[in-house]
Amino acid sequence: MLGFGLGSNIKAGISTLKTSKGRSFGIMLGIIIGVTSVITILAIGDGIKTQISGQIHKYGKDIIIVKPSQLNLGSTSGAPLSSLNILSPLTYRDINTVNHVNGVSASAPVTLVPGTPKGDYGAYHQGFVIGTSASFPSLINQSLAYGDFFSDSNNNNGDEVAVLGQTAAEAMFKENVPLGASFTFHGQTFVVDGIFNTFDSTPLSQQANFNDAIFIPNSIAESFTNNTAPTYEIFARSTDPNQAAITAKNVASALDVAHGGSSNITVNTGTQDLASNNSIVNLTTGLVAGVAGISLLVAGIGIMNVMLVSVSERVREIGIRKAVGATNRQIRNQFIAEATFLSLSGALIGIILSFLIELGIRLVTSLTPIITWQSVIIVTGISLLVGIVFGTVPAIKASTKDPIEALRAE
Amino acid sequence: MALIELQDVSKLYGFGDATTLALDEVSLTINKGEFVAVMGPSGCGKSTLMNVIGLLDKPSHGQYRLDGKLVSRLSANQSAKIRRDKIGFIFQFFNLLPKLTALENVALPLTYKGMSVTKRLKIASEMLDRVGVQSREYYLPGQLSGGQLQCVAIARALVNNPQIIIADEPTGNLDSGSSRLVMELLAEIHKMGNTIIFVTHNPELTRFATRVVYMHDGGIIHDEASTIGRVATTARKVLYTIPATREEDDLAGVSLLMKALPSKSSVAKQPVIKVKKPRTIKSKAKAK
Repeated sequence: MLGFGLGSNIKAGISTLKTSKGRSFGIMLGIIIGVTSVITILAIGDGIKTQISGQIHKYGKDIIIVKPSQLNLGSTSGAPLSSLNILSPLTYRDINTVNHVNGVSASAPVTLVPGTPKGDYGAYHQGFVIGTSASFPSLINQSLAYGDFFSDSNNNNGDEVAVLGQTAAEAMFKENVPLGASFTFHGQTFVVDGIFNTFDSTPLSQQANFNDAIFIPNSIAESFTNNTAPTYEIFARSTDPNQAAITAKNVASALDVAHGGSSNITVNTGTQDLASNNSIVNLTTGLVAGVAGISLLVAGIGIMNVMLVSVSERVREIGIRKAVGATNRQIRNQFIAEATFLSLSGALIGIILSFLIELGIRLVTSLTPIITWQSVIIVTGISLLVGIVFGTVPAIKASTKDPIEALRAE
Repeated sequence: MALIELQDVSKLYGFGDATTLALDEVSLTINKGEFVAVMGPSGCGKSTLMNVIGLLDKPSHGQYRLDGKLVSRLSANQSAKIRRDKIGFIFQFFNLLPKLTALENVALPLTYKGMSVTKRLKIASEMLDRVGVQSREYYLPGQLSGGQLQCVAIARALVNNPQIIIADEPTGNLDSGSSRLVMELLAEIHKMGNTIIFVTHNPELTRFATRVVYMHDGGIIHDEASTIGRVATTARKVLYTIPATREEDDLAGVSLLMKALPSKSSVAKQPVIKVKKPRTIKSKAKAK
């Protein structure tokens, strides 16, 4: 399409860039903003997806997750999590139901126990107490740093033992290995039996941060609350990993029966959970990236306006170029090349900027955005297209100028 | 051999009452190797004639043959290619691109030929050497003097090795020293066989020409051969009657020129001049 050396067009673009810096920056600004936001949003979306799938991979694809379809938060806003009044359709009875479904080898509830634990250094408001069963660590594939998780017999006997997340251990006892230390909760004294390794934090996912949690046997948790503690979720594992989906279905129907035919409970395998999470993240990032993409379109209109001004200011130049033998097509291509060069430069700056922002997000938050080469290529392609499409109108205007009139212009 | 052949070429601008007749049935034949000076008062159609010959403008009527080929009805792009390959322009106000260096300005016509960067810069540098401003090749036009600028412009006009050089008042914006430099350069180029057509107000400069064409109100009123090194006879009469430095003097000079014209030619051309052109309607209105 380019009638003469592409190099000279690019050179013309560079010289324009050099000589009218303000205007060039004006042209590029829209593209820079558009490219940066699209790449960053896609990177954040991909980062979230990767982290969620990383978590599911850790749990294993055959894990069965029982969750309320909807959590009703009946709490005053701003209250710490431990005092949240979460109304969950899952109850202690459902734990038994899940346990007795055919094909379920192990299950563990995650029950939030209201109340604040009191350690050696006073009440620990940030933490929350979770009632669960002995299978919990093996179900979510989480190992302990020190000590042991409580056993089934602890659970059955109602022993007052606890296992702490790393953050909770440090906050309550100001030491890393407070094995044998004790704290009070609901008037009972609990002995620390073990400390978990750090849980991978999963920002922006629905999962609570277990590093802040104190795990106690579920039987005690239920006895504190007269079996009214809200169960946040139930983890279960199928005897045969390949039958996870079928087992999940069985669990779901068993719960439906237990709840009298209909329940607000979702039962997913790890794979299904991943898929539904991904589709939500994809939808969200797609929408936001789409809005950001519109800014690229707006940037294109900006390019057109600035190039039109540029053309009317450079009429004499066009006249001179025509006088020395430039054809209409060569003039047109020069201006298209300039617009394209500027929009590509903007895209390049935008890409660099989004890498910097990605680095910033990595450093400041626990989120790890992932910039994929696909998003970079697509965004660059869009910028190229925007430059060509919106550069064409001014370029045609430039190329059809009458050489005599153009030469006469000041 | 006739290189440029204009036959009853007219050029009209505008519509209706505002129509201006810039060229009035001009017939002119210029042979290869001629060095033609075109003289006449402001607004007599000299520049329009240059633009038509240089294919920047199309005649409204009449035929124009360049190198034996009918070019008056060529498309814009075909004209552009002929401009690029056969014609070099030199302007009164130099018309160099202010953002390009002297070297890049000279290389511009080669760019449109599709020549590689290194090759065209090399040729441009050689051309700047020929016109004596090679030491300034990396200067921007804003950093050069008028004479140097015109030398760069001449280098640009020459870089494609064109058959025809068209110079529209090449010395109009220069002091006498630079003017002589530029004219001597053109004379040198002429010696190498190029055809040169230049517009001037200065009768002195006809001493470089082999032929002088006098224009008035869009028509050619006198056409005479001249000897290189001598001011053309008609122009000389004017030159020594009145010093032409200002525009009014130029105009006065032209009216003197009319009187100075050989009677035979003046009689023959009289009807042409008598035809009142729409252009004068405008100027009359202004005068009122």
